[in-house]
Amino acid sequence: MIRNSLLTAVSAAAITVAGAATFAQELPRNVRLVIGSTSTGGDTYQNSSIVADALAEHLGINVKVDAVGASEAFKALGRDSRGTTLMIFHDQSYLGNLYGREGYSDPFANYTVGPTVAINPGNAYLVSCDSPYQTMEDILGAAENGERVRVAIQPGGVSEIGFSAMKNAASVRSPGSEENLVAVNTGSQSDKNQAMWDDLADVINGSIQANEQFTQLPEDDEKCMRFVWITARSATLEQAPEAGMGDTTRDDLLQYAAPNVEVTLDGEQNFTFDKEFFFLFNPEMDPAIIEQVDTALSEIFAAGEIQERQKASFFIPNYLSIEDAQAHLMDKRDTYGEVIQQISGGS
Amino acid sequence: MDSLTSITIDFERSHLVFPRIVGVVLFDLLVAILIRDRRRIAGAGTYWRDVMAEMDKVRFFGTLGLTLLYFSLMVPVGNIWPNTGRGFLFCSMPFVMAIGLLYMHERTVRKAVALAVVAVVGPVFVWWLFTYPFFLTLP
Amino acid sequence: MFELISPLFLSLVVGGTFIGIVFGAIPGMTATMAVAVCLPITYSLGLENGLALLLGLYVGGISGGLVPAILLGIPGTPSSITTTFDGFPLAQRGEGEKALRIGIVASFVGGLISLLVLWLFAPALADFAIKFSYVEKFLIILFALTVMAALSRDMLIGIFSGVLGIFIALIGTYDISDGGNGRYRLIPPGTEYWLDSGFSLLPVLIGLFGLAAILEQAERGVPKGHSKEDLKVGGKSTFSFSIFRGQTLNLIRSSGIGTFVGILPGVGGSAASILAYSNAKTFSKKPEAFGKGEPSGIIASESGNNGLTGGALVPLLSLGIPGDSTTALLIGAFTLQGIQVGPLFIGNNPDTWNAMIFAMLVANIAMLMMMYVAIRYFALVVTVPKHILFPVILMMCVIGAYTINYGIMFDVWTLLIFGIAGWVFVKLRLEVAPFIIGFILGPSAEVYFVKSLESFGTLGIFFTKSWIAMVLWVLIIGSVAGSVLLSRRQAARDRAAG
Repeated sequence: MIRNSLLTAVSAAAITVAGAATFAQELPRNVRLVIGSTSTGGDTYQNSSIVADALAEHLGINVKVDAVGASEAFKALGRDSRGTTLMIFHDQSYLGNLYGREGYSDPFANYTVGPTVAINPGNAYLVSCDSPYQTMEDILGAAENGERVRVAIQPGGVSEIGFSAMKNAASVRSPGSEENLVAVNTGSQSDKNQAMWDDLADVINGSIQANEQFTQLPEDDEKCMRFVWITARSATLEQAPEAGMGDTTRDDLLQYAAPNVEVTLDGEQNFTFDKEFFFLFNPEMDPAIIEQVDTALSEIFAAGEIQERQKASFFIPNYLSIEDAQAHLMDKRDTYGEVIQQISGGS
Repeated sequence: MDSLTSITIDFERSHLVFPRIVGVVLFDLLVAILIRDRRRIAGAGTYWRDVMAEMDKVRFFGTLGLTLLYFSLMVPVGNIWPNTGRGFLFCSMPFVMAIGLLYMHERTVRKAVALAVVAVVGPVFVWWLFTYPFFLTLP
Repeated sequence: MFELISPLFLSLVVGGTFIGIVFGAIPGMTATMAVAVCLPITYSLGLENGLALLLGLYVGGISGGLVPAILLGIPGTPSSITTTFDGFPLAQRGEGEKALRIGIVASFVGGLISLLVLWLFAPALADFAIKFSYVEKFLIILFALTVMAALSRDMLIGIFSGVLGIFIALIGTYDISDGGNGRYRLIPPGTEYWLDSGFSLLPVLIGLFGLAAILEQAERGVPKGHSKEDLKVGGKSTFSFSIFRGQTLNLIRSSGIGTFVGILPGVGGSAASILAYSNAKTFSKKPEAFGKGEPSGIIASESGNNGLTGGALVPLLSLGIPGDSTTALLIGAFTLQGIQVGPLFIGNNPDTWNAMIFAMLVANIAMLMMMYVAIRYFALVVTVPKHILFPVILMMCVIGAYTINYGIMFDVWTLLIFGIAGWVFVKLRLEVAPFIIGFILGPSAEVYFVKSLESFGTLGIFFTKSWIAMVLWVLIIGSVAGSVLLSRRQAARDRAAG
């Protein structure tokens, strides 16, 4: 105890000496923003650094993005309630928990889920150009007719949720046919592509960004691919740049998304999935700091500059205040929870 | 032939396949070594006594102790000024100095001063480099 | 194309190469880290200029690793691990300067050969690379693992050490992003909080090679080191280009291996120099000299790891798939500028493509010149009194371990754990070189082995998959047989001598 209060006294002195007039209810001058990915070339990092730059400039503080990965990021966040550590991650944070992955606890119960900042609309499913399947309809139909369709995914999260939705749709259309959709569990995008070229998978999970050029290859190229489904909502895709990605325009992309492609959720609605990026906070952190981040974000998005940077990197700007974000994400979690429940309970 | 070599792997349990194989191989190799080198292993007691007898215990355990202290203090000290890397900075200076003194043979004032300069300039330079141009997190 | 190559472009390449060399030369700092640190700057530089900087960093970072590997016996980056095996013994004999020159020239040749391959054959090679499924990739890793036998002083103990390395590498999660199921294994109960991601490679490496070496020195009372006269610094150097006579085949083979390993996504950068080294030893006329200061060993290792640079860009630029962890970051540089990389990249962006080739060429030349000039200053490191050198090295190791995964304290503790382990290993006569090779290759061996069986359901697949698999088996058997013969011959000679 004595040691603790000594530390507090020293730190208080140090802060005063440093001349940084920080109050407990404000973000400190040096903030560490941990992310749930270990890649500094990936979408989580890019998106987080755009947000970090904007926050740093707006509040006049330092924000450093550290790509420590999901498990280390949750640990770092859990250790620090002073507001010096914040986290940005995407739907994986609760999907990992829904799929029962180790190292993922329920983020709604153990952390404070914060405002959303952007969507990566790229999650997609593709087939090889010489595939007999032209559409999702063909794939679900094939499953109904007892054909085994192998889908390459990275299990336990964002890459699997679309596959779970396919199984769910198959089971809604014709109970039992979901058994014919089988997962080929692979890792990175390159593994998934390779699974298709090795003829180990009929359908692969991929993304607009990483796979679009393969869809432009000549039909006779063994690497040629075709989109069959983009999981984003059409409302999301409509906000993408009109030129789309590469040689595929936004209108082309919309052809592969609901409602043009139907993967049913319950026989009435279509299943959609947007990969949303949002803040996560330590549950014991001072609510005033959360308030400060949320207000800063709302002002940054109102100013409108950040949207340009996000769109240039093919992200869809998507600011939701903390209350809206929590309600929206919890609702989303519950929907997907049911889908996952359905297919694991039904089989 | 096919039935002999065919194997089905359950994905949910696939994390155990390779560790088991490697574990069995490792164990077999260990047994082989224990049998082959039994005489040398029987003499391990004297061997370690000799190692300990010839060891420069102050320098060896001093290094271990100081390193342990250095690593243990870095984070708590760093927590006083979060995310500024000062835990690294303020712990590295005495650590470099202490290890340097420990390893020094004829401890003269001249040498100690030279070391002290390195112990201050080195960590400060590295800290500056990582905090500003490189923008990396230090404890 | 030429309007893209401005003075700014050239100075970025050269500056990048310089910073890269510095990163590579500091134990614990890697080319990947150099690229990661500078990636945000490239946003404002524009695509070609940004790439100029990053490619310079990449070439410099891979090359710089040879400096501490040779002079201190600590690999500056994981890919220069095999350089320590022959470089450090040479440095200990006072021939560090010669070893550095050999390494630098070999790096340059490796870089140029791989660049040529990249420039001429990129798309065709990418098409060939996708013929490698899990099965062939497992066999390549297995082939690389056979070097364990070749590196062992005592075959039984060496192989035990190597398998132990594989075993330790498996601790933690069976990583989902590599294709695993995300479950824990081999974690002692109660340590999940720290060990869920296992031990990271870099802290293990600098612990085993850096901290352990310092502990051993401390144990012996930190004997006084070399003086300037011992090192012949500035005096007559025993290096001449005649060392490379008879090494043409080794150079081309090792560069080719490095390039090819780079082309295969996922096989990993460290495997390149390991494979090249293993091959050089197998085909050498005096394999017994390897590990004791044989120049061909340095040549193989360094031309192999620089061969990687061009190779790893092949799948990146013709498939949009990175060949190693550094090129994975380059994807970020492209997406920052809104440029897609994929099978159409070269055709759609011929100017950028040419600029990249040119940047790589300049980077290699700059690397050769800068390092060659700097040799005498590098070599001076060994004359720094140990009571100053060692604490500074320890501090740098801590920084390297802490920053490699962007700030994880457990990595620093890993450094200490493996520092002590490395010291104990030597006392127990376990062998560190096979151990670290097992540790590096273990996780890939696991994924490719388990995935092969999962996908094809039969052990027979390893023999029947393709002609490539057959060729790899021939190489594996050749390498094993070579090591066994060699150790027999050695034993016979020992008996005759004793």
